Amino acid sequence: MSALVLISVLGVVLLYLGLFGNRDLLAPVGIIGLLTAFVFFAADWRLESPLFGGLVQFDSYARSFSLVLIVVTVLLFLFGIDYYAKVRENVAEQYALMLFSLIGGLLITSFSNLIVLFLGIEILSIPLYILAGGKRDSFRSGEAAFKYFVQGSFASGFLLLGLALLYGSTASFDLAAIAAHAATIGTGTDMLFLLGLFFTIAGVAFKVAAVPFHFWSPDVYEGAPTLVTAFMSTVVKTAAFAAFYRLIAHMQLPEAVHTMLIVMTICTLFLGNIVALRQTHFKRLMAYSSIAHTGFLLLAFLGFDARTADVLLYYLGTYALATVGLFIVLTLAKRAAKGDEHIHIFRGLFRSSPWLAIVTMLLLLSLAGIPLTAGFVAKYRVFVLSLANGYLLTTAFAVVMALVGIYYYVIVIREAFTPGERGLRLVVAPLNWLVISLCGIAVLALGVMPGLLRM
Amino acid sequence: MIVALLLLIPFITALALMFLRPTQQAKNVALISTLASLGVVLFAWSAYTGGTVIHYNMDWVPSWGLRFVMGYDGVGLLMLILTAMVFPFIIAAGYGEKLQHPSLVNALLLFTQTFLFGVFLAQNTLLFYIFYELSLIPVFFFLLYWGGEHRRAITVKFFIYTLLGGLSLLFGIIYCLGQGEGFNGDFATIGSLNIPTSVQIWLFWVLFLAFAIKLPIFPFHSWQPDTYAMAPLQGTMVLGAVMLKMGLYGIIKIVLPIVPQGVVHWQETVILLALIGAIYGGIIAFRQSDLKRLIAFSSLSHVGLLCAGLFAWNSYGVSGSLYQAFAHALLVVCMLYISGAMKERVGSSEMGAMGGLKVRTPRLAALFLLVLANAVALPLTQSFVGEWLMFAGLWQVNGGLALAAVSTIVLGAIYMLFAYQRVMLGPDKWALEMTDATTRDHFVLVPLIAITLFLGVYPGPILELVDVPVQQLLSSLSLN
Repeated sequence: MSALVLISVLGVVLLYLGLFGNRDLLAPVGIIGLLTAFVFFAADWRLESPLFGGLVQFDSYARSFSLVLIVVTVLLFLFGIDYYAKVRENVAEQYALMLFSLIGGLLITSFSNLIVLFLGIEILSIPLYILAGGKRDSFRSGEAAFKYFVQGSFASGFLLLGLALLYGSTASFDLAAIAAHAATIGTGTDMLFLLGLFFTIAGVAFKVAAVPFHFWSPDVYEGAPTLVTAFMSTVVKTAAFAAFYRLIAHMQLPEAVHTMLIVMTICTLFLGNIVALRQTHFKRLMAYSSIAHTGFLLLAFLGFDARTADVLLYYLGTYALATVGLFIVLTLAKRAAKGDEHIHIFRGLFRSSPWLAIVTMLLLLSLAGIPLTAGFVAKYRVFVLSLANGYLLTTAFAVVMALVGIYYYVIVIREAFTPGERGLRLVVAPLNWLVISLCGIAVLALGVMPGLLRM
Repeated sequence: MIVALLLLIPFITALALMFLRPTQQAKNVALISTLASLGVVLFAWSAYTGGTVIHYNMDWVPSWGLRFVMGYDGVGLLMLILTAMVFPFIIAAGYGEKLQHPSLVNALLLFTQTFLFGVFLAQNTLLFYIFYELSLIPVFFFLLYWGGEHRRAITVKFFIYTLLGGLSLLFGIIYCLGQGEGFNGDFATIGSLNIPTSVQIWLFWVLFLAFAIKLPIFPFHSWQPDTYAMAPLQGTMVLGAVMLKMGLYGIIKIVLPIVPQGVVHWQETVILLALIGAIYGGIIAFRQSDLKRLIAFSSLSHVGLLCAGLFAWNSYGVSGSLYQAFAHALLVVCMLYISGAMKERVGSSEMGAMGGLKVRTPRLAALFLLVLANAVALPLTQSFVGEWLMFAGLWQVNGGLALAAVSTIVLGAIYMLFAYQRVMLGPDKWALEMTDATTRDHFVLVPLIAITLFLGVYPGPILELVDVPVQQLLSSLSLN
């Protein structure tokens, strides 16, 4: 709890720092604050005990995800130092909003009452609506913010409706009580409960960009400033998945909801991967690849057992590492190409800086799931999980989709290792270099020693 | 110790080449490294007394069946010998190539060698899979950077095609790991798997697909000719001489033990497909005007035969197939080396542009003829032994199939001799001076031809190596 308070105060402190013009202090203070929060979380001695009168249950599951969220945010802040170096206005607000959003994320990884789920998702989302429109003079950034806001509001509406129906059916917002109710229904049907669960899941599925609730993601990813895109596809996604799993983990899902999850998984896998094939702009590619990864994560949901939480943590953590690194590389290449985002901008990367090219290759191979990178282990564990729970054909389908996924990542690798007509002029700030290298090494280390990241 | 050395010698040399970039000395360093590996393998061979030698047996991630088990049996050792023996010549062939960044080229080749050693040393299915996929990555970059025309498209096609098989294999392995407690992923525990026949029938294709693509056999071959033709000389050598043997090895180590009933069920289909590929490859090879493409298709033809021999599934067929795999590796290197040597002299590998070279380069022509003798499986060459065994094996399965297999030899003789005629014979139309076989050419070709002839007369050492494991494999499978 102290960590939550700390991060909230940190956000306010950053706002004040910005107000008094201490721009250079923003990121360092933010990072130190986050690291302190990290220590608080890691050393939390009141684990397992309910907080706020049973609204929040801060257990080891929540702690593991919170730690991942904080580490990724720290990486993004490190990236932010260079990213915001040329920006004159409102830098403090951007950092502060990210922190506020992070608090929402931390809340929804630890909720045990559906009210907190709703509050958390709103706290997570509202700063994002602003952040997505962070580039005020850019048309596309405004478009992204608007689209995200409108569709996000719809999703919140769904979620609220779902919660209301659940309350109507079970007379409680408490997760345990709802799970108990689900168990009593057994094979019978309770239309109210079913609809409630359906809408609640739809609301959460919107946040993880599962098909058919994914429409916002490509446009928002493309329009939002790169740092915010990176934030959305790592911190927000991880938190939303943690919440999603927390919602259904201990519940005996009715058959209809289960079928809905399977259909959602298959559609997400298919659409994410197939549409990604046609993308030529890197950010859109990453948006669809993000949808595709949502599909693989949903696959891990299907038949959940004791290992699922661990698999999710591993998958999301390593996915976030790879994504952060790639978005930094993208920013550097985009600057060199004067704002272009076509994957051609990576041409000549190997010529101009071999190390960065090799790390980029590692990160992409990890997303593609090639052995010895963390991504392989992640996908492997998902496949093991779903096969062990008897989803033979769905897993086979996912394997084929993984192959499709490899194709579009390899295309980007190919660009990076093709000599360009004119040399790529990369300016790499030492901090960025450090973060990218860290991501690359971490992805490799986690691939060789998967035991390092576990609950 | 042997295992560690085999993995570390090429790996460390490759890292050193990559980071230190000794442009002048790169080829020499790589050559020394591969010779050192060869020394280690030959030592292992001399010390080998039979059975499966396990050097490492450790848990890596025990919770999901990945264990670090490294070692070799007779078949694995044969593959190790093959890899170690071929690589010095592949590196030596690089002396004639004028590729940019020789240190990177050699580093990638040595990385490939490391992973290939890994594949043949792994005694755990997942570990095998990991090395199997890893070996693809250096080759991918080698082809992407130094390939010929259309390399960008062809390389990706090759990569995706191979990974399609790889992922299918992974799926099969995961499925098997979920079956029963006895199987912990090690080759040694495959016997405790008891998969129902109805499952084996589909699981066979899941597992076999990877190796069918790698070899490649008939309907899965479409990546191969383009890739072989486009790849730089050394790349084609690696692909044709060693990498496709991974497919053969995988079938023996994974497909046959895990899904024996599936193999029985599909045996004739696979043999038929393989032979269709062998004949089809031979016919197309005949129509090629480019020497390198001709070799690519001839390789397709030979590999079809290898696969058919293996699936004959008796000791003649399997031993013959393994023996021929060895012969084929040496043959591919020789053939490609000659095509490279001709290209160096004439400027292209189009056979129409050649002709009459025998007068100018008599020694090279003689060497080519000796290689050709092996290629058409003339008695007293290594190929003769292997192919004869395979025909004998196939004959026991079905006389008609054996007849079809024999016809590939006739086809082989036709297109090979026709190629020789177009390249070497005919009127001397060359006004310019042309160097005959150089010291380097002799250094590469003479030892290879000598080995071929020696093993053609005295095949004992290799056959003894594979005899026991093959018998064991066959008897353990017939018990099930």
